[in-house]
Amino acid sequence: MNFTHFILLLKKEFDIEFRQKTALNGIVLFVLSTVFVSYLAFQNIIAPHVWNALFWVILLFGAIITASKSFLNEQKGRMLYNYFVYSPREVILSKIFYNSILLTAVSFLTLFLFSVFIGNVVQSLGTFSLVLFLTSFGFSSILTLMAGISIKAGGSFTLTAILSFPLTFPLLLVAIKVSKLAIDGIAFSVCIQYLLVLLLLNTIVSVLSYVLFPYLWHD
Amino acid sequence: MAKNWWKILAVLIVIYTIIAGFLLPVPRLDILNETIRNLYFHVPIWFAMLFLMGVSVYQSIMYLGSNKIKKDIIAVETANVGIVFSVLGILTGMLWARYTWGTWWTTDTKLNGVAITFLIYTAYFILRSSIEDEQKKARISAIYNIFAFVMMIVFVMILPRMSASLHPGNGGNPAFGKFDLDNTMRMVFYPACIAWIMIGCWVAQLRVRMGILTKKIIYDETV
Amino acid sequence: MMKLFRNILTCILLVVGTLTMHAQAPAGNVQMADGFYAEGKIYVVIGVVAIVFIGLAVYLFMIERKVKKLEEALKEKK
Repeated sequence: MNFTHFILLLKKEFDIEFRQKTALNGIVLFVLSTVFVSYLAFQNIIAPHVWNALFWVILLFGAIITASKSFLNEQKGRMLYNYFVYSPREVILSKIFYNSILLTAVSFLTLFLFSVFIGNVVQSLGTFSLVLFLTSFGFSSILTLMAGISIKAGGSFTLTAILSFPLTFPLLLVAIKVSKLAIDGIAFSVCIQYLLVLLLLNTIVSVLSYVLFPYLWHD
Repeated sequence: MAKNWWKILAVLIVIYTIIAGFLLPVPRLDILNETIRNLYFHVPIWFAMLFLMGVSVYQSIMYLGSNKIKKDIIAVETANVGIVFSVLGILTGMLWARYTWGTWWTTDTKLNGVAITFLIYTAYFILRSSIEDEQKKARISAIYNIFAFVMMIVFVMILPRMSASLHPGNGGNPAFGKFDLDNTMRMVFYPACIAWIMIGCWVAQLRVRMGILTKKIIYDETV
Repeated sequence: MMKLFRNILTCILLVVGTLTMHAQAPAGNVQMADGFYAEGKIYVVIGVVAIVFIGLAVYLFMIERKVKKLEEALKEKK
């Protein structure tokens, strides 16, 4: 594990992303169109718990779409060179961080579009943002490894979705619960225990990904 | 025959739990009534399932360390028996729930956990079927198995403690806790758990032996 | 094989059917066959034991099918 290598790889991910815009364009379009569809369907009359459910469903699918693209270049053999130079631990860490940054951006974009089209029902935005940060990191830890697995297994988007859906549920359930509290404007001292559980889950999944990825990568 | 004594023991204990489970006196509780006896038949299935999944993930870890295909066979076959047990647990639980809680399915954290477990291990088998190469299949599915097992444990052990559950011991329900589970019930319940774990291991062992034979006969490989 | 599955399915449907019929029995002081609620719900326990046994039996049949395939493969080899 070498920190400069990690930074280099992270930078490389961003460079490629901004050159090709494969993940970014797709995900922005996806979020935009689903939010617009929900706007057309609900026409501004939307209860907070429906808002919450809708938000997380869109975010979950968005996250899976984003993360499933994370090994696209490796699949085509373009970045093969990296794997002779860098260790798999550096690769997975850089990918997890890259994806979590991307996912954080996507989730705030979703929040923004929700407030524009459907209306913002969140009362304590601070707690809600914290939840978004935490789940983005957790999702990206799970989904990056699952994307790697499904690429190695011949890689279809369906496989990524099947593999990662049930694994994201614990995280998702806690996130939905605490974001409901944030929407209702419940005091932070009540939310903190759920946020800690979220943090614990994040630690578990990121450690698992970090430990297991090298076994996946060595052929 | 000498090696099979534990299978006979398992069968004898199950027979004992069925007879004693129906005949011995149980605490008189409202709503539950006689269904408290399901403790001997429904709950041990879950213990057996958790045990089998535990064996499976242990073998997966051993596979990643050794690359011996036999470990992979044990891992997949124990998971297979485990998933069958989980289906049995769900069905029996649904029947029990219908006549005590009044519905086949409710949003109880334990029920959700079980549904997730089922989904996770179905995904595990789908993943296996989508890879051709044997070593690759074993390695990748071992990785998924480890990840999945940890998430399952999180779901069935940690999350239920966060919210009220209809299951005993959560949120002030009539529980089989230390006060209600009396000594007579213990004398049937604990043997039942051990016996069902042994039965599960027995079926898994048969399937493992079949798996090894399949490798020998169809692929000409010695494991 | 399909036949076996169809038979099993019919059995399950029959069992489920009887269960739901009992469940829909109207409440009242008239003597009804409330089956599963009667006698301290002991029939629920019987149902649970039956489900476990039926499940294991079905599983055994599936395993047997696998063994048969193995035997055929062995025969072909010889």
